[in-house]
Amino acid sequence: MKVEATEYGDRRVFSVSSFNRGIGDWLARLPTVWVEGEVTELRRQDRWQSVFLTLKDPAEGACLGVTMARGQFDALRLDLGNGERVHVFGRPELFEARGDFRLRALSIERFGLGEHLAALERLKQKLAAEGLFAAERKRRLPRLPRRIGLVTGNDAAAKRDLLTAITHRFPPARILLAETYVQGPRAAIAITEALRAICAAPEIDVVVVARGGGSFEDLLPFSDERLIRALAVCPVPTVSAVGHEQDTPLSDLVADARASTPTAAARLVVPDLAELTARLDRSRASLSRGARGTLDRERRRLNGARDHLRRAPMLMLERRRAALEHSAGRLRALSPRATLERGYAIVRVEDEIVRSSSQVDPGAKVDVELGTGSFGARVEETR
Amino acid sequence: MSEPTFEEAQRELESIVQRLESGDASLDEAITLWERGEELYRVCSAKLDAAHGRIEELAKRVEQVKPGNGAQA
Repeated sequence: MKVEATEYGDRRVFSVSSFNRGIGDWLARLPTVWVEGEVTELRRQDRWQSVFLTLKDPAEGACLGVTMARGQFDALRLDLGNGERVHVFGRPELFEARGDFRLRALSIERFGLGEHLAALERLKQKLAAEGLFAAERKRRLPRLPRRIGLVTGNDAAAKRDLLTAITHRFPPARILLAETYVQGPRAAIAITEALRAICAAPEIDVVVVARGGGSFEDLLPFSDERLIRALAVCPVPTVSAVGHEQDTPLSDLVADARASTPTAAARLVVPDLAELTARLDRSRASLSRGARGTLDRERRRLNGARDHLRRAPMLMLERRRAALEHSAGRLRALSPRATLERGYAIVRVEDEIVRSSSQVDPGAKVDVELGTGSFGARVEETR
Repeated sequence: MSEPTFEEAQRELESIVQRLESGDASLDEAITLWERGEELYRVCSAKLDAAHGRIEELAKRVEQVKPGNGAQA
């Protein structure tokens, strides 16, 4: 078809329809491609020639209109729902009447398990390269959280099991529960929003994201890039309790700790009250034992000091007495008795030693001490 | 002059003993020293007896008011 322009002097001007036609022709020359995205706004009616849907980039949110002939679409028997990941094979097209650009689908494939696995692996590599799973990013979980945030499914047995496990281990635990869809196309966004909401609540010290076992597809929301990034920037430590031991959703890698059973998760987030109480009792017992021991030891020491104190004066006295007796012994040994033995005598009057005859008068009574014994005498005369 | 302390009396007694032991004192002097020594011995001994008595008395009083024993039968 020819694209015609009208000449106004040196200006070539296109009509809207010829412009659209020109763009449409040009777009139609582009090759066919595969485009991956999430199905949204799927509109199909039996009386319509075409089926419409919008393909959304889950990471960046960019949108692309898609149309497909209804007959072709029905023949695929995809039973597509909104939120499903698909690969669309087609070529770009301009709906000339409206100037709408869209993808004319020739075929649509549901994003299969293999593709999911490959995409998951790519995402895992990318996030690992960013360091989101690094061991040094892991935070220590609080020993005794004020409040525990719990993000679980509204129907999940996981919720009940986890609540039971936590309250069994630590009855006074305070838990803030955020129930959400954990399955289906809206799950990833719903979980991410629930996580953000619960982190914003006061006194939350740890958050557990929990889901029971399920198929690979069931657990896919827990590997969604949006949720993983939300977990990575979560202001409080996180625990991923998703699926069973053999499952490794990316939430397990990004969380600060992972648990493969509700019991294990409970062990991570709360202490065992019974054990805590027992340890406290033991501490108190040894404390009082220690205090009593110290008291006894101090009392013994004091008593010892008191005994020493009481003995000390007597001891000193005895030592002095011994020294005195020693001096006295030596004094006595040196007494003039030895001299008296040689025939001398000591004469005393009224206990005074008589050294001169002038000390006594005739008739005075004197004591005479000899080498052996003594006697009284009276002075006859003085010379 | 005030009464000598136990230590002063004992020191004097000890010096008397040493003087007598040296053997250079005359008999007269020796007798005087000896008498003084015996007197000092009496003084010291009396002081020790007095101190002993005071200690015994004090110990008896301490035993009576032993802490913690007051309320016990």
